[in-house]
Amino acid sequence: MERILRSEEMAEIIFLPVRHHSPACAFHVKRMIEKLRPAKILVEGPQNANELLSVMVHGETRAPFAVYYSYDDAQGRISEEREQYKCYYPFLDYSPELAALRAGAELDIPCAFIDLPFGDILAASGAGAGLRSKKEKNNYNDDYLLAQNDYIKALCEKSGLQSFDQFWEKYFEVNGYSMDGEAWFAGLLSYCKLARENTARRQMEADGTLARELYMRGQILREAKLLRRAGEARCLFVITGGFHTPALAKDLRQEADAIENELERLALTRIPRERQGVYLMPYSMEAADALNGYASGMPYPGYYQKIWEKLGSSARPYEETALQFIVSSGKETRKKEGMLSTYDEICADAMARGLAKLRGKQEPGAYELIDAVLSSFVKGEYNIATDTPMRILQKQMTGDAMGELCRDAKVPPILHDFREQCKRYKLKVATTLTGEVTLSIFAKKRHREESAFFHQLNFLDAPYARRVKGPNLQRGTDRNLMREIWKYKWSAGVEAALIDASVYGATVEEAAVGMVRASLKKENDASACALLLSQVFEMDLRGQLDAVYDNMQEVLVRETDFFALAKALKLLRKLRQLRELYQSNLVIEPLLESCCRKLILLLPSMAAVKEDDAPACMEALKLLYQTFGSAQELAELKEEFLRVLGDATESQKVHPGFLGCAQGILYGCGSKSAQEIEYAARGYLTGTAEQTKKVAEFFHGLFFAAKDIIFTSRTFLELLDGFFGEVNGEAFMKILPELRMAFTYFTPVEIDRIAKLAAGIHGKSGGQVTGQDGVPADWYAYGRQLDEYVRTQLGVR
Amino acid sequence: MEQEQLIKPPVEIRYRQELAALKANDSARKPENWQLSPQAVRTFILGSKKPLTYEGKTYDIQKKYFGNDALVERCIVTLAGNRGLMLVGEPGTAKTMLSELLSAAISGISTNTVQGTAGTTEDMIKYSWNYALLLARGPVREALVPAPLYVGMEKGILTRFEEITRTPAEIQDSLISVLSDKVLNVPELGDHGILFAKPGFNVIGTANTRDKGVNEMSSALKRRFNFETVMPVREAALEKQIIINEVNQLASESNIAMEAEEDVVELLASTYHELREGVADTGSRIDTPSCVMSTAEAVSVYYQTMIGGYYYGGGQISVDALVQNLVGAISKENRDDLQKVRDYFNTVIREKSGREGGKWKEYYEARKWLK
Repeated sequence: MERILRSEEMAEIIFLPVRHHSPACAFHVKRMIEKLRPAKILVEGPQNANELLSVMVHGETRAPFAVYYSYDDAQGRISEEREQYKCYYPFLDYSPELAALRAGAELDIPCAFIDLPFGDILAASGAGAGLRSKKEKNNYNDDYLLAQNDYIKALCEKSGLQSFDQFWEKYFEVNGYSMDGEAWFAGLLSYCKLARENTARRQMEADGTLARELYMRGQILREAKLLRRAGEARCLFVITGGFHTPALAKDLRQEADAIENELERLALTRIPRERQGVYLMPYSMEAADALNGYASGMPYPGYYQKIWEKLGSSARPYEETALQFIVSSGKETRKKEGMLSTYDEICADAMARGLAKLRGKQEPGAYELIDAVLSSFVKGEYNIATDTPMRILQKQMTGDAMGELCRDAKVPPILHDFREQCKRYKLKVATTLTGEVTLSIFAKKRHREESAFFHQLNFLDAPYARRVKGPNLQRGTDRNLMREIWKYKWSAGVEAALIDASVYGATVEEAAVGMVRASLKKENDASACALLLSQVFEMDLRGQLDAVYDNMQEVLVRETDFFALAKALKLLRKLRQLRELYQSNLVIEPLLESCCRKLILLLPSMAAVKEDDAPACMEALKLLYQTFGSAQELAELKEEFLRVLGDATESQKVHPGFLGCAQGILYGCGSKSAQEIEYAARGYLTGTAEQTKKVAEFFHGLFFAAKDIIFTSRTFLELLDGFFGEVNGEAFMKILPELRMAFTYFTPVEIDRIAKLAAGIHGKSGGQVTGQDGVPADWYAYGRQLDEYVRTQLGVR
Repeated sequence: MEQEQLIKPPVEIRYRQELAALKANDSARKPENWQLSPQAVRTFILGSKKPLTYEGKTYDIQKKYFGNDALVERCIVTLAGNRGLMLVGEPGTAKTMLSELLSAAISGISTNTVQGTAGTTEDMIKYSWNYALLLARGPVREALVPAPLYVGMEKGILTRFEEITRTPAEIQDSLISVLSDKVLNVPELGDHGILFAKPGFNVIGTANTRDKGVNEMSSALKRRFNFETVMPVREAALEKQIIINEVNQLASESNIAMEAEEDVVELLASTYHELREGVADTGSRIDTPSCVMSTAEAVSVYYQTMIGGYYYGGGQISVDALVQNLVGAISKENRDDLQKVRDYFNTVIREKSGREGGKWKEYYEARKWLK
């Protein structure tokens, strides 16, 4: 803890360095505040969250929650891309910052955040650094500067610990909570000083650290002077991430004037407030767990929550918690796997204590708990089959609690809109019961609107409604259905997701529009574009259709991926079929045409398609064929298609499946005769040994595109029959799976018909082949005997 | 016992000085009958940066087991408790070495060992009789020949059971009641026939999971052990260091005046590492052979090559001989494995020989021996 004594100008300032999410730290912060009773508490955090302070410390608000900051850079002040930015500042019960705010509220001490507003932090950060990194979730309180540097690496190595988290737990948590507060902060401060000395200035400049520190210094200075002027005898508390403390304290002592000058310069770049959003949102333990990848701070929030609850009230909080987790994970393991005894739990407890002693900890911590469960609960080699206890423990240590906000919490307009719309459609919110609605989307306008609302929510990733039945544009299933059935259920997660999307707009529809626009900016392939088009269609965002449509046209020109185009074509066809039902006047034909044209252009290169891609390629050919079959206006293109396809079949390295499929299509369109196809088939059948192996693939392709060919000309059957007579057993077994695939395109009735025809070749009637002789009675008897024998051997009743 | 006369001296002789130094400097609390405290056992196995002084000399305690430090700590705590310790894992992951180190540090002796085979019988584990004495004097204690389990219980030391899964399941099960009750009944001795285990007794088992011909352990037996799965070393640099240490140790024990050459070890370590992991350091995918690609195997390939070089090659190690020995090591079970290694040479090693030159080039040229 760093102290700047009272001077003529300033009140006494006490700096408390903290690590975000640390029970011991929160514990000591709370005690310090209770002991020293400061006049004011300043906390690191963007200033625009000051208005949320009363809600944060409200009795009904339950952690975990997060402050959600957003900024819509419509004016391009951050970068030319004019993007939307957002970040989270999660709070758990044991976050020192929250502990300080709560203690302040209890003791009637005013509190305030002192960091730059979110937009200004963005402006001060370099592209791709700090809060501008292209991560899925950006965290305001990132401790990476404390946890990642050469110094900590060397320290861990020397102390024989595996990671910074283990180091921290040993020295600051388990062995630290019972220390005297001043000594504890002194230890942390010296650690932070060393960590800071080992961090490059360049890095601190890039991620905005230096600009933020400058601003915070200015705020501290101002508050200290104000307090002094008011004749306040009590001190000022400054609670910031430990990494900043040394810098804040050092410069404040020396250059108060210089700071003010620089601050003025900084004020010039101020980002306007109106486009910045700041809200509280419920947060989950899972999201707060560092191990999930997008947060920093300590891992295992569920575990440390338990520790926090016991700190101060229990003499051995860690020991008790370890036992509690051993018992609860043991219970769960027993439920899932059986065979875990109380003695196993006793051994685990002994192991945890023993390890703590060996590792020089006063009590077993999280890592001793994990080791204890690993060694006592896992029986046999540790692998995916035996790691159930570990997975259970991991889950329990993460915890599953979700925060709650008090009723007065300010919510973004999008949430009001959501509630309004739910009221309008008579949908339940604020109960967690599942409801169901049936919507005649094609018959009633209101139902169509409701369906669009649900689709918009889904597009925003708000887990409110789920379509259980109804036509599916994307998958192309259930197109015959005229109604949609939706199940819906409200949860805190829905609101969290909507707050998350609030940066895109003030209503659900606006946010959906914003997200559509944002995704248009991304590099999309043709299939993603078509998917977006279909989603816009479902969401009924008529205003956006043109933009997506234009984008689609551009992408179609650029696209060179055959398969992405094929997927796009499939979606476009679906859209065209359902267009009228949805009462849309979208003109899909030009898109269809350019998609087909592009596919034909790429077709020659697909003749020698790779084995793995062959089915998708055949699917694409058939799709093209079907598209031309139903669209008269594409007749000219159809000619082109058949010509290119004909050329492709001549290619030397043509894939047999592709060839079969192409021949089938050409036959279907009447540009090839059955004889020509026969000739090609004969080529494989009578070829060298390697080529005959491809027979099945050829027929697979052929039947896929034109299965009726087998009934029109008897020669195909004769050809196949002759081949079966010649091929040896081993080779036949090899091609059998592919042959089976080839014949799956026939219905059972057709298979019977083929069998009859085949029987005819050998001068037998269909019944003689398809009918089966009864199984002799003694076979049954023998079978039963075998069964019985196996059963007794296995000891099964 | 003179060190020079043994092919492989046991751990307690090899590290006699270190153990004595640790004991003299050990002030922490010891479980009953342990030679060292758990902290000192940990230091003995995992090494320490702080040198120890003993009888006027200073000793650096070297790290002897590379791998997971937390695992070693768990092993030590298990042995101080009520359950046996079972080390499982693939062959060649230094399970036996770890069990020897633990025994030597805890009980001062690592040779109280049952060597499990398919032919192991119960009397090789518990006790048998000296039949001449038995006939002459009847069933008296003097006529009883104690086996390792008996010895461990009687003296309060660790009993090691090597390759436990190689012994038939019913023989393994003879451990069950001893492990839970810590009592061995010898009915032939009548009233004096009950042997209570002294504190300090415990069992360390090692078991292979990948070899052919292993017997599954019964769940009753599994319950009496804490299991520790020893994983192969995942870091190429660490693997290289292990090979160098081991080879130098072996060489000095056999009075071969040669030391492992770092760049040649590098070839072997990266080959073994990449073939086992199935990915080259450039990210290329590699077919992994079905044979065991353990660090212990790599050590023996290198050592063999070294001996060859010492006696026939004028004290120089040859890359050709290294590849020849590699062939011998990998084509034990399956001829297809050799093809996989050949492919590996033709892709990964070829690329490396072009990029790095030097020994890698020599190594690539030696691929002619891969047949």
